[in-house]
Amino acid sequence: MARKPQDNPQLDMTPMIDVVFELIIFFVVTIKQEDIFSKLNANRPAPASSAAASEENDTQVKIDIGSGGLVFNGRMMNMKQFDQSMREISKTSKNSMVVIRCTLDSPHKYLVDALDTCNKYQMYNVSVFSI
Amino acid sequence: MARKAQENPQLDMTPMIDVVFELIIFFVVTLTQCQAKDETIKLEDGRYGIELTPEEMPPTQMTVDIARTGRISMGDITMTPEQIGQRVKERKRKFGEFPVLIRADYRTRHEAVARVMNACTANGIWKISFMAIYERKAKD
Repeated sequence: MARKPQDNPQLDMTPMIDVVFELIIFFVVTIKQEDIFSKLNANRPAPASSAAASEENDTQVKIDIGSGGLVFNGRMMNMKQFDQSMREISKTSKNSMVVIRCTLDSPHKYLVDALDTCNKYQMYNVSVFSI
Repeated sequence: MARKAQENPQLDMTPMIDVVFELIIFFVVTLTQCQAKDETIKLEDGRYGIELTPEEMPPTQMTVDIARTGRISMGDITMTPEQIGQRVKERKRKFGEFPVLIRADYRTRHEAVARVMNACTANGIWKISFMAIYERKAKD
């Protein structure tokens, strides 16, 4: 059957709608939400000054990180206990210098956790040493 | 019913354009996903850190990656701490003080991180930042 020339040719929207629906479904299925990142600042004094850091100083808050976890005030702590201790300290001495000493075999996770806790209680003067 | 020969036969381009668009979108999406997948570096949570917005990432910033195995790299090129130190030296001469961001896997030993930090301090960069996850959204 021959087509008659149309007087009012109208654009057929059906394929466009089909494709738009396909695209919507495709994006809904494949879209991957990305993590939001943060940065935790620290100072890294020269290796020679690590000896000075081990000297007793009352204004310093010392945190030791080993392969087993965090040691604070000579006591091994989990994150909850550490968080509580830091909260207490931050009440009295927010501006004191925090010294984190990590052993070479400690996992990086503990250092990030310690820095994060310091940031939580607005203790921003943090130095990281390696022992 | 026999077809009459059309006087002006026109090729309908619509399905072809449809398919081409779909293919383009498919390749764009799958390619970027392949690039984003990096299983060797998983970050620890850092909810109280400074959110990494584009303003917090100045162009002079140097990002050093440390994988779970302790492999140190920059832009996917494996480097020794000495090479990192060389880069820091060159960059400091060009820009002066600049931020260093260490993107290290949470399972990696502190040894590799210490090596990178020592390479920075040896060349006059004392301020180091560690990358963490502010908010987890990606599915593992």
